[in-house]
Amino acid sequence: MALLQRRPRTDPAPSPAPPAGRAGTGGRGRVRRENLAAYGFLAPWFVGLVFITAGPLLASLYFSFTDYSLIGDHEVVGLANYERMLTDTRLHSALKVTFVYVFVSVPLQLALALALALVLDRGVRGLALYRSVYYLPSLLGGSVAVAILWRQVFGAEGLINQVLGFFGIQGEGWVSHPDYALGTLIVLNVWTFGAPMVIFLAGLRQIPAMYHEAAAVDGAGPVRRFWHITVPMLTPIIFFNLVLQIINAFQTFTQAFIVSGGTGGPSDSTLFYTLYLYQRGFGAFDMGYASAMAWLLLMIIGGFTAVNFLASKFWVFYGD
Amino acid sequence: MNSPVSPRRPSGPRRGPLLPLVAVSAALALAATACGGGSDSEDGVVELRYSWWGADDRHSTLQQVIDIFEAQNPDIQVVADYTDWGSYWDRLATSTAAGDAPDIMMQEERYLREYGDRGALADLQEFEGVLDLSKVDPLVAESGNLDGQTFGIASGVNAYTVLADPEAFEAAGVEMPDDSTWTWDDYAEIAAQITEASDGEIVGAQSMAYNETGFQIFARQHGENLYNEDGTLGFSEETLTEWFTITQDLLESGGQPGASQSVEIEAGGPDQSVLSTNQGAMAHFWTNQLGGITESSGREIELLRYPGETEHERTGMFFKPAMFYSVSAESEHPEEAARFVDFMLNSNEAAELILSDLGLPANIDVRAQILSSLPPADERSAVFLSEIEGDIVDGNPPPPIGAGQVVEITKRVTDELSFGNLTPQEAAQQFMSEVEAATGDA
Repeated sequence: MALLQRRPRTDPAPSPAPPAGRAGTGGRGRVRRENLAAYGFLAPWFVGLVFITAGPLLASLYFSFTDYSLIGDHEVVGLANYERMLTDTRLHSALKVTFVYVFVSVPLQLALALALALVLDRGVRGLALYRSVYYLPSLLGGSVAVAILWRQVFGAEGLINQVLGFFGIQGEGWVSHPDYALGTLIVLNVWTFGAPMVIFLAGLRQIPAMYHEAAAVDGAGPVRRFWHITVPMLTPIIFFNLVLQIINAFQTFTQAFIVSGGTGGPSDSTLFYTLYLYQRGFGAFDMGYASAMAWLLLMIIGGFTAVNFLASKFWVFYGD
Repeated sequence: MNSPVSPRRPSGPRRGPLLPLVAVSAALALAATACGGGSDSEDGVVELRYSWWGADDRHSTLQQVIDIFEAQNPDIQVVADYTDWGSYWDRLATSTAAGDAPDIMMQEERYLREYGDRGALADLQEFEGVLDLSKVDPLVAESGNLDGQTFGIASGVNAYTVLADPEAFEAAGVEMPDDSTWTWDDYAEIAAQITEASDGEIVGAQSMAYNETGFQIFARQHGENLYNEDGTLGFSEETLTEWFTITQDLLESGGQPGASQSVEIEAGGPDQSVLSTNQGAMAHFWTNQLGGITESSGREIELLRYPGETEHERTGMFFKPAMFYSVSAESEHPEEAARFVDFMLNSNEAAELILSDLGLPANIDVRAQILSSLPPADERSAVFLSEIEGDIVDGNPPPPIGAGQVVEITKRVTDELSFGNLTPQEAAQQFMSEVEAATGDA
């Protein structure tokens, strides 16, 4: 309100002057002005939405029905791209890799985040420091630098193998062996537990201490209090983290791209869905198919999120 | 910022600053989404963009060449646009799709058709009088031609062969082979011997299966080829199976590094090759990579002819156009771009700096001119190329559309073979069906 009650500025807009009668007629005008202000502040976001998100989104939907090759002309081919997905074995293996990644790394990551949040919530000295230190990987985990670091650490002569060598164990080249490469990327994702941990920590702080006290008086031990007070009270937060991390995990690209040198190798063991999409679109000039793949991914993520929300009715407890 | 159109209305509604705010934010957002606008002329100076791939030393060399060109052609300004090999093609594809292709670009055999067939490249024959193509080595002069049009002109020539480190041979106590007669059995035997004699300290040879060029030579030795003139597969399953069997034997005998080690070596590029790190005796590379590998290894690396050149029906080695200079069909200043290509291709000044980094210069006069100024390693490549020239039977037809994907297919199939998921025959079958699928819709 204070914003609009400032002294009116004297310079009018270089816009067509409004009809004289409608100018400055009390309440309605103020509401309109407020709306206009809101639109003004929304404009950067809105322009971004139209040109950077919605436009390309719709364009990709159109291209998914064409044989667009990035360069030159394209023709509409109907559902051919979608039909091809049924027989594309590399797509199937990319889906498998991505699902394994999502279903293994997300629960592990959330469990670790919750466990550490519980420890930190007990009032550790220097909590702010620990919180920052644990949060750091979340900021770095998706970056190119960390992916390169990961390749070094898990390489045949990397840190892990040097430590193992100290105990007389001859380690594998973890990132370069098809049986382990995906595992190293799952570890990388679990390591970025900081973001959900901070959210869990905030959630734990919201649980009134009196519940715990009352339960303790009634003779409930720590384990019981955890399962019957902490977890139910925390379910909205768990749900929030779960939805967010699943969506994130499905879209993983950087780590796989850097660690495998863009190939998804060795022998497609780290061929994430997004990486294969990228290879088709930009490597093989197969942008029509890549667009169709993008829409399949959107439907998969949308589907999982919808199921998540539907299922949440049965296990998320909102306390009222 | 009083607007001359509308009168001052001190007591009017204060909608003033808001619309500009909307407008400015909209403009900002738009400016952020629109990428660099293209070639602007200032004071009659034409701006061209030239893009290439490569390592750091190439970037500084080519920048020097550009500086000389600009000094001689004050009406043209050339903006350098470079990256490494891996991201080069992604970037070129995206910028071409956006109508923002560089005016002059380096092209490669396997991608040239991809762009040429789709109308993204200019026909260099149209620049007669500006761009002189008459001095180009006849062995590669027409390598950038498709359907009578010249979409690229070779920057230089190259040959794919075996690089060997004599010090590694000596350390293992194994004699260097006579490369004028050595067979594939000799190759496999020597590689295994080196690993064994050095107790695994030095590996015999880096895996050769990660680059399809090696197999191309092998197929040519058998009277076949990787692709036929019409772009179909030019080899038989037996030949490819035989090729993969050599690799499998080398894996079993220890003549080459193990599967996961090979994956790491390949990911590191030439700088991480077994020769560069002094961990092996032989590796397969292009002749213009000799300089770089000699430098990173700190040793006097030698060039050997490919094994099996006298073993089968014919010789398999060939001259390859190292890279191509191409001009974008969308360039706003094609004439100026052609002048720059002419400078790169035909001037001694450019060649004195580039030397053999873009292949041994394709212009025969220029080549003769710079031979004496080549550093020792590049001079050895030049001598090697002139020695094998007489034994080369023919060139290769241009690869079909989709050949760029074969790089990645080769890597993947080789991984599967090395990790024991496929037998040589299964690997051959998978390679053939995947390459056919990738190049089929040409």
